[in-house]
Amino acid sequence: MTGNELAGGYPDAGPGPADVDLDRVWLGVAAQVWRRRPGPVERVTGRLLRSPGLGRALVTTPSLLFGWLIATVVILLAGIGATVSTGEPWVALLAPAVAAAGIAYAYGPGIDQAWELSQSMAVSDRMVLLVRALAVFGLNAALGMAASAASGAAAAVTFGWLVPMTAVCALALAAATVTRSPTVGVVAGAAGWVIALLAGQAAEGQVTAAVTDSVFVVPYLAFAACCGAVVWLATRIPRGTP
Amino acid sequence: MNVELTELTRRFGHTQAVAGVTLEAGPGVFGLLGPNGAGKTSLLRMMATVLPPTAGRLRLLGRDPGGFGPRREIRRRLGYLPQNLGYYPGFTVADFVEYFALLKDMPPRRVPRAVAAAIEHVGLGDRARAKLRTLSGGMLRRAGIAQAIVNEPELLLLDEPTAGLDPEQRVAFRALLREFGQRSTVIVSTHLVEDVGVACTEVALMDAGRLVFHGTPGELVTRGEGSGAAGDAPLERGYSAVLAAARSGAAARS
Repeated sequence: MTGNELAGGYPDAGPGPADVDLDRVWLGVAAQVWRRRPGPVERVTGRLLRSPGLGRALVTTPSLLFGWLIATVVILLAGIGATVSTGEPWVALLAPAVAAAGIAYAYGPGIDQAWELSQSMAVSDRMVLLVRALAVFGLNAALGMAASAASGAAAAVTFGWLVPMTAVCALALAAATVTRSPTVGVVAGAAGWVIALLAGQAAEGQVTAAVTDSVFVVPYLAFAACCGAVVWLATRIPRGTP
Repeated sequence: MNVELTELTRRFGHTQAVAGVTLEAGPGVFGLLGPNGAGKTSLLRMMATVLPPTAGRLRLLGRDPGGFGPRREIRRRLGYLPQNLGYYPGFTVADFVEYFALLKDMPPRRVPRAVAAAIEHVGLGDRARAKLRTLSGGMLRRAGIAQAIVNEPELLLLDEPTAGLDPEQRVAFRALLREFGQRSTVIVSTHLVEDVGVACTEVALMDAGRLVFHGTPGELVTRGEGSGAAGDAPLERGYSAVLAAARSGAAARS
């Protein structure tokens, strides 16, 4: 309805402005009212990644949402408490499993309800997954290192779990991607980490061997690379014409 | 031509979902009809670049989706409504449409207005701020259509778009199809013959992965005349007659 048509219904209102298209005006108003204003994180990441779509994808990642981050911090605080009271490096033992759970819930094919739709988008689903996984990994690594340092662990323990964490996260991502189930990803990551800890204990006689013994670094990295290859294959871009 | 398919084939193990389909489509509304399991969804998914063909040639909007650059360009100009629309329950309708507008690489400055226009187009203006989990099936379908049209696509692919819509919404939706068909290629997969009769300029009928008819709705009606095929409406009789002929032909060949 135009402004004139509207005014025509109300004789006392006088003539309306001649060229006002109320539909157009309403669209302008609705656009401003309905739009989701990007926060600082979304603006900065969108600019850094040169894609507002990736910025939005990042801030809507389940394992980067406020509730999830609070839960992560609470677990790591509990780890600090346990480390201080028992002397065992609980933070180093917990952090890789927590990070793996976050990675499995990074909205890859396992959990994204709109995965098929996402696959038809110009910003590729693979790029979205990569950005989300890296962000979750980076944040968990930073939180874990802060917690590990706060617990007063030795430097070898404080940083030693970063490499195994990479392998455990890669395993969780690969399992979640292949099975399309984040729960399977979490279980696989946690199980993989427990096996690594037990293997370290069997080999060296102490549970912290999995994070302190440099002998394991190469196998961890090789394993992470294999899991990365699995994710790459599982999310490979469809061929248009064979 | 916006869509060029040459001997397009898709197999899942030993099952041939799409068997050597050759088809061209320019601007207009193109109806894809067929019984359940005919291969409509697989064909549409290949055109949406989410499923690779096993064999054959596919060109969309004059480009080969096999390369990264052309595929991205196609996807910028593509609107797709999958049969099973996944959605994020915590998103509002506006968030949902805006999210996919951004993933379609639309210029950010154009996005808010395009989102508002798409939401109004499908009649969800009064629910724009409602969470998706609170919407009915028909409203969710309309939210899905809104994300498909938000970028004013040159190629619009809709898989069972009228499922869950009430009669009034279906009438409005057909008007939307006709409007988009004037400037874009709209391909609608459906098993509702009446949608095709009212909205489509061309129609193709699939059965067992093969294209068994391609013509206008009027030509499909003609196929049913005097055939004695089952159906309450002329188009339904044409549909039944073509299917029966295709199946008897296939049986004779085997």
